[in-house]
Amino acid sequence: MTNTHLLHRLAWASGMAMLLSFVATPGQAADKPILIGATSSETGPFAADAEYNLNGMKLAIEEANAKGGWLGRKLELKIYDDESKPGTAVRLYTRLITEDKADLLIGPYSSGITQAIAPLMNKQQYAVIEPEASIPTIYVPGNKWNFQGVASSLTYLEGLLPLANKNGAKTVAVLGLKSAFTLACYDARIEQAEKLGMKVVYKTTYSLPEPDFASMALAIKNAQPDVVLGCTYYPDAVGLVKAFQAQGFAPKYFAETVGPVAAAYTKALGPLANGIISNTGWWHNFKTPGSKEFTEHYKAMFKQDPDYHSAAGYGAVKVLGAAVEGTKSLDQDKIRVWLHANTVETVQGPFKVDANGLSQGFSQSLVQIQEGHLKLVTPEDMAEAKLLVPYPGK
Amino acid sequence: MLAVQLLINGVLLGGTYVLIAQSLNLIFGVMRVVNLAHGSFIVMAGLFTFWLSARTGLSPLIVLPIVFVVSFVVGGLLQPVLIEPLMNQGRRAELLSLMVTFGLDYVLVQIALHVWGADYVSLPYLQSTWTFGAITLSKALLVVGLFAVGIVALLYFGLNYTSFGKSLLAASQSPVGAACCGINVRRVRLFAFALGVALASSAGTLLIMILPMAAESADNLTILAFVIVALGGLGEYAGVTIAALLLGLAQSLAGYFFGGDVANVLPFVILIAVMLLWPQGLRRAA
Repeated sequence: MTNTHLLHRLAWASGMAMLLSFVATPGQAADKPILIGATSSETGPFAADAEYNLNGMKLAIEEANAKGGWLGRKLELKIYDDESKPGTAVRLYTRLITEDKADLLIGPYSSGITQAIAPLMNKQQYAVIEPEASIPTIYVPGNKWNFQGVASSLTYLEGLLPLANKNGAKTVAVLGLKSAFTLACYDARIEQAEKLGMKVVYKTTYSLPEPDFASMALAIKNAQPDVVLGCTYYPDAVGLVKAFQAQGFAPKYFAETVGPVAAAYTKALGPLANGIISNTGWWHNFKTPGSKEFTEHYKAMFKQDPDYHSAAGYGAVKVLGAAVEGTKSLDQDKIRVWLHANTVETVQGPFKVDANGLSQGFSQSLVQIQEGHLKLVTPEDMAEAKLLVPYPGK
Repeated sequence: MLAVQLLINGVLLGGTYVLIAQSLNLIFGVMRVVNLAHGSFIVMAGLFTFWLSARTGLSPLIVLPIVFVVSFVVGGLLQPVLIEPLMNQGRRAELLSLMVTFGLDYVLVQIALHVWGADYVSLPYLQSTWTFGAITLSKALLVVGLFAVGIVALLYFGLNYTSFGKSLLAASQSPVGAACCGINVRRVRLFAFALGVALASSAGTLLIMILPMAAESADNLTILAFVIVALGGLGEYAGVTIAALLLGLAQSLAGYFFGGDVANVLPFVILIAVMLLWPQGLRRAA
């Protein structure tokens, strides 16, 4: 073969290759899945609850893909483990944006971690649903890109004090773990108790790793409050109950924010868990649209009962899907405007936000562990059982 | 009555600290090795106990001897491979042992994460109390406290009144001198490490009854143990027991009067104060 022939052949081959690449490009882009990125606390103190949240997202993505995805494209979920650490999450979201070139993002688990990544979302202009950031301080003037996908922390255990007060409870002890979410709840409940005319006889904050709960429990025993409110996460929620028992004190009403709803809680505490009050933003007998199907599909996929974290993760993907389909684009600014303007019915209730992205539609209901199982005790029209008092503590 | 209850709480908390710290101290005392994998042995034993008890219904107190024997063997297998080769490195041995045990800690935590996941777990065992008037005693805490007393007694008599204990002390004071006296220093070190790991693991089996534990708790436990050992004086068995009890009492009082935040930082504040005033630890200061 002469050199001229070889050159001709090469030119022909490269020309065909270029032509093919032009023809193939639009088709490939349409087939390429939409990349949805997020971090989850797969390890660290938030792992137990974060797993439920992540499972909810996975289910929603599986369901969307079964129906052909969004805008005719399949969805792909990219998850990194933030180790329950805000700094790690910031690094990983930066990676999702710059290296993985995620089309869409969903917020991480916990208020503290979301607070760390929220400025990044504002800077990078990603419209993000935050399924687990209940503190209101993220959604303030200046925040344009973060949307609260869960009930505000100001509503955690909100229903309990008026109920207890009506039944004759006069005194309260409030404990709060030093994290963004639990401290917001801690301040809100102290303020609420004072407004109701109840006396806060003991209050303290603490941080992880666990302090010695025995002394705090003893101090609370001496103060003899009718109601003990723990603004907790899982490990301290368990430690606190054990310490109360060890000091021989059982308040009439014993409530904790995060922890009691996790399946591991009753395993760790056995009969001591009975009577503990907590709250939930979603319950399987909620009459919200899609709630029944969500419960069935979740159980089938993960062989466990979903909880409100699962519903929040599931809801976040659904709302994002509604925005993508509503705007017919992946344009972040269009999605942002759409999210501000629209209400989306989710299993948790209506997703609806104010001008700063703060949730206006979600609320919290009370649950209580009775004979080893969580029962919805408020609101009355959906309650599965009556609130049992006093807490037996044995 | 309140003072008595605070005292009891403090002593019982101190008892758990004795359990957490004394095994770290034993290994350091004999080998000058700060075992950074200490917490991960505690956690692995705790998670294993939870896993086995939750499945079989076995009491953790029955699991305890199993854990002791298994971890003794594991310690005995690890020591000749990981620690012993460092012993003839002279002054570099201490630094190298930090690196090796840090690596071991990482591996153990990853194994624990892989096998048992990242969740915090705790066993609902001995969850009842004895009440004497206004005084309440938690059975679980009392059992843990009794084991702590047992371990202290065992170490005290074992080290001071048995020939093997004496050779262990001799090997820690002067390996060369001990070898000249016909003591098999290698064997002593092997035994001390295996015993240290077995005691740490036994602590894990007991602690899972009173506090929730996850794979990631390992480092916190190592730090806590290190603080107590540093307070008592590295290698000082009586000093570490005293430091653990004093710290327990101090935290109990601080938690009662000032709340959780103060109780949380107290060990570190005390450590800094003691290091400034008596760098050799409380025991030598006394």
